[in-house]
Amino acid sequence: MAAIGVHLGCTCACVAVYKDGRADVVANDAGDRVTPAVVGFLEKETIVGLAAKQSRVRNATNTIVKVKQILGRSYGDPHTQKHISESKCIVVEKVGKPKYEIDTGETQKFVSSEDVAKLIFSKMKETAQSALGSDVNDVVITVPFDFGESQKKALGEAATAAGFSILRMIHEPSAALLAYGIGQESPTGKSNVLVYKLGGTSLSVTVIEVNSGIYRVLATSTYDDIGGICFTEALAQHLASEFQRTYKQDIRGNARAMMKLMNSADVAKHALSTLGSSNCFVDSLYDGIDFDCNVSRARFELICSSLFNQCIDPIKKLLEQIGFKANDVNQVVLCGGSARIPKLQQLIKDLFPEVEMLSSIPPDEVIPVGAAIQAGILIGKENLSTDLDTITIECSASDILVKETDESGDNKFTVLLPSGTPLPARRQHVLQAPGHISSVCLELYESGGKSPVESKFAQIVLKDLQKKASGVHDILTVLTMKRDGSLHITCTDKDSGKSEMITVEETP
Amino acid sequence: MLIEAQAEQCTFVTRGLCAAAVLCQVEPVGRWFEAFIKRRNRNVSASFQELEDEKESSEESEDEEFQLEEFPLLKTLDPKDWKNQDHYAVLGLKNLRYKATQRQIKAAHKAMVLKHHPDKRKAAGEQIVEGDNDYFTCITKAYEILSDPIKRRAFNSIDPTFDNSIPSKSEGKDNFFDAFSPVFERNSRWSNKKNIPKLGDMNSCIEEVDGFYSFWYNFDSWREFSYLDEEEKEKAECRDERRWIEKQNRAARAQRKKEEMIRIRTLVDNAYSSDPRIKKFKEEEKARKEAEKKAKADARRKEQEEKERQKQAELEAVRLAKEKEEEEARQQALLIKKEKEIQKKAIKKERQRLRTSCKNWNYFSDNEAESVKMMEEIEKLCDRLELASLQSLNESLAVSSKEEGKSAVEKQIAEVNAQLKREKEQEEARMKQSTKGAENSAIGGGSGSKSWSEDDLQLLIKAVNLFPAGTNARWEVIANYMNLHSISGIKRTSKDVINKAKSLQKLDPQQKDDINKKAFDKFKKEHRVVPQSVDNAVPSERFEGPAADMSPWTTEEQKLLEQALKTYPVNTPERWEKIAEAVPGRSKKDCMKRYKELVEMVKAKKAAQEQVLNATKIKK
Repeated sequence: MAAIGVHLGCTCACVAVYKDGRADVVANDAGDRVTPAVVGFLEKETIVGLAAKQSRVRNATNTIVKVKQILGRSYGDPHTQKHISESKCIVVEKVGKPKYEIDTGETQKFVSSEDVAKLIFSKMKETAQSALGSDVNDVVITVPFDFGESQKKALGEAATAAGFSILRMIHEPSAALLAYGIGQESPTGKSNVLVYKLGGTSLSVTVIEVNSGIYRVLATSTYDDIGGICFTEALAQHLASEFQRTYKQDIRGNARAMMKLMNSADVAKHALSTLGSSNCFVDSLYDGIDFDCNVSRARFELICSSLFNQCIDPIKKLLEQIGFKANDVNQVVLCGGSARIPKLQQLIKDLFPEVEMLSSIPPDEVIPVGAAIQAGILIGKENLSTDLDTITIECSASDILVKETDESGDNKFTVLLPSGTPLPARRQHVLQAPGHISSVCLELYESGGKSPVESKFAQIVLKDLQKKASGVHDILTVLTMKRDGSLHITCTDKDSGKSEMITVEETP
Repeated sequence: MLIEAQAEQCTFVTRGLCAAAVLCQVEPVGRWFEAFIKRRNRNVSASFQELEDEKESSEESEDEEFQLEEFPLLKTLDPKDWKNQDHYAVLGLKNLRYKATQRQIKAAHKAMVLKHHPDKRKAAGEQIVEGDNDYFTCITKAYEILSDPIKRRAFNSIDPTFDNSIPSKSEGKDNFFDAFSPVFERNSRWSNKKNIPKLGDMNSCIEEVDGFYSFWYNFDSWREFSYLDEEEKEKAECRDERRWIEKQNRAARAQRKKEEMIRIRTLVDNAYSSDPRIKKFKEEEKARKEAEKKAKADARRKEQEEKERQKQAELEAVRLAKEKEEEEARQQALLIKKEKEIQKKAIKKERQRLRTSCKNWNYFSDNEAESVKMMEEIEKLCDRLELASLQSLNESLAVSSKEEGKSAVEKQIAEVNAQLKREKEQEEARMKQSTKGAENSAIGGGSGSKSWSEDDLQLLIKAVNLFPAGTNARWEVIANYMNLHSISGIKRTSKDVINKAKSLQKLDPQQKDDINKKAFDKFKKEHRVVPQSVDNAVPSERFEGPAADMSPWTTEEQKLLEQALKTYPVNTPERWEKIAEAVPGRSKKDCMKRYKELVEMVKAKKAAQEQVLNATKIKK
């Protein structure tokens, strides 16, 4: 049984397949692992992907890009209006919904955003099928965190129309975490992960708390005005000024020449992520003049310096918003194609000097891989509850700590049950006491929730332990918290088998 | 390192937790989420992954431990007769049978292979029958059948050890539960559905018993009989043969399935008819219904009685009220009568007084005639004057002198006379009016207060024809038309018009004819004047019109005219000549005249309709 994960972005779509316990991105018929989310309408056929992107120079009015921006939105939506103002393709209003007006010579038709998404999904399905050699229907689809109900519905309809059966829709940041398997090995422990996604047209930063293998989004923010395209544009502007400097011709007003230059800049930008310098060459760019220009990485970074600042600021803002310091974050996950830019990675690294940065999976493949892993988890399961968008579960509200002393004799607190643990929960710890004492006292504190400082709520005393000349007493402590929030603690001395237990209820 | 406890310290809870559980929104992602949701859906209060894992591993170990039972006749089995062998027995799963898991079957097969494989036996120095005739083929076949879920189901369906018998009704009479419980238990294995209801015992409630029987009456069985197929499809050589075999098999299977259904049905029927609980429930139901019926009847009777009583009470009350009223009326009448008598007496007295006082004064006159006249007047006064005025007159007479008294009396007399005269006049006026009214009504006849002249009737008929049924606000339009065109000047409302039109319709045809004839006569009368005068005058175009008008336009001609009007638009030169040509038998003048008439008619119609429309708007 195979299942796939599909990520449909503004600029690119990508599909990963889960098979034999592994998830991997599959290349499309052009040999690329990501497919441009571009749909072109020709006189007799419809083309999707690279071919459509390349033919856009000649067929701009019948080529649809960035369809995700208006998917499921009404015509009056400001996002839709923004998209319409930028789109080369005519968008008209039909019953409150935006529709693309496609005119391929003889016939004129109106294409909805769902239809366009459906074409892209069909393409992804074909890609997966050719890689697997068999039919595949079960799919997990990723959606941005800020997708509303109608947008999800539109996306779901498009996927269903393409022949998919949707196992679940998951949020992009969660998929990124899943791709790295964060918190999946053991169901204990707690960490905070920052997901940085710089896509083609948008930037989103999300902080996710991973507790007991369950993900919880603490905060997220999305910026629609910055993305990989801004870098390409900046580079294209630079190339245009270079052209003007050399040939005294201003091509900025020529849409077709600019589009050619944009495509060339795009290629150069990708090359600069891995190489030190890149060559831009456009045949017959303007007025029959060929254009040839070399761009170094340093030059590129100089051109885009203000953009880099724009890309980094949101992280600082978000951390401020939830009151986090840089070292409160345990891991950083990069995703989105533009997160490949070395300078950007360096800047993020500078921001979190001590934090592990995960970028081993190519950033533009992280999300579909995570989706495919989720599909692998879900496949074969019966009665999937699909309506899990707003699932809420009971979690412990405060940290449960025990007071201990460290080597120097100072007091320190050890967390036994962290806050935000899904309930019911059971945690087992082996605490150690010096062997020369005959009794131990576990002073239990709670913090977080309503009281920011630690406050004692109970103590457990184990008496008459056998003294040991060397070694330590091992005290097995088991904490059990039920869904109603009542806490049960059992302490057992491993040597003597003596045990004490208490039950604490929530104060009404 | 944990800290040491002080001597006086002991285990205790100082206070409860401030905040223990909060609701958090989480992402539906990852295996731990799935595990969590699974646990929550199963509603395990405090279940933990570790415990679950333990349970699973223990299950596995159980699987390993199961006992295989060697089939004693294994070596004597004939591979050609594999169809009749007991596959479970062959694999040593005789005890588990259909309950065996796939894993157990696999394990059993493995064990069997290890023991009975020809190579093994050869190594042990046994004689092996070459080819497919070795009994090991039976093991392979058994595994082949049992490892395939479909084939296994087919074999399970005809399990040779299954007891197909069903207890009869008489068997269930005495010991229902002992007789039927194992049978249902046995047959429940064929059910497609899980959660098979139990037969229960004498204490089961009606819902349980109902559920049980409805389940068994709608029994959904997976039992099928493909294993018993006479022919094997695979053996067929050509497609036709295969089809034929398939047909045969299908028929046989259907037959067997039907028999099986009948068997289950009979079982349930038998059980139902001899179930002591059903009997009990039926009796209870009957008793309950009767009780209900009785209760209902009681209630109805009570209600009726109550109603009767209420009615009686009401009647009583009414009667009492009436009596009281009557009593009061009588009292009142008596009182009024008394008062009247008193008044009468007083008047009598006052009159007497007036007369005597007048007499005393000798009727204010000396001569006889005058006094007689005065006497008459005084009598009149006595008759007419009220008690109060009489009293005041008497008083004034009593205190005043003769002269003053005379003037007072005379004044009264004058007043009374004037009053009498006024009354007389009024009476006369009333008389006059009534006679006038009678005259009026006589004129108006049956058609209401407004009279309908001959002209108006004619107009009405015309209007009714002009605005046929279905015209918007027809009668108002007609009324308006009438008001506009009538020469009588009487304003008519739509109601009047409707009434008249109805009465006209009621008139017998002869009367209608009469009206028409009268109209025609009148028409002639009117028009005769003109032709007479025309006779000697110079023939002019002007008078040709009315003369031609005499012959009415037929519908045919009308149509032709309309057509011609359309074909020759207004700016056509010599339009009317052409139109006249198009209408045979009509001159240019005729056509023009007709056209003008038509235009007038249309205009009138429109105006009338508009008026009505305006009127209704104003009303609104």
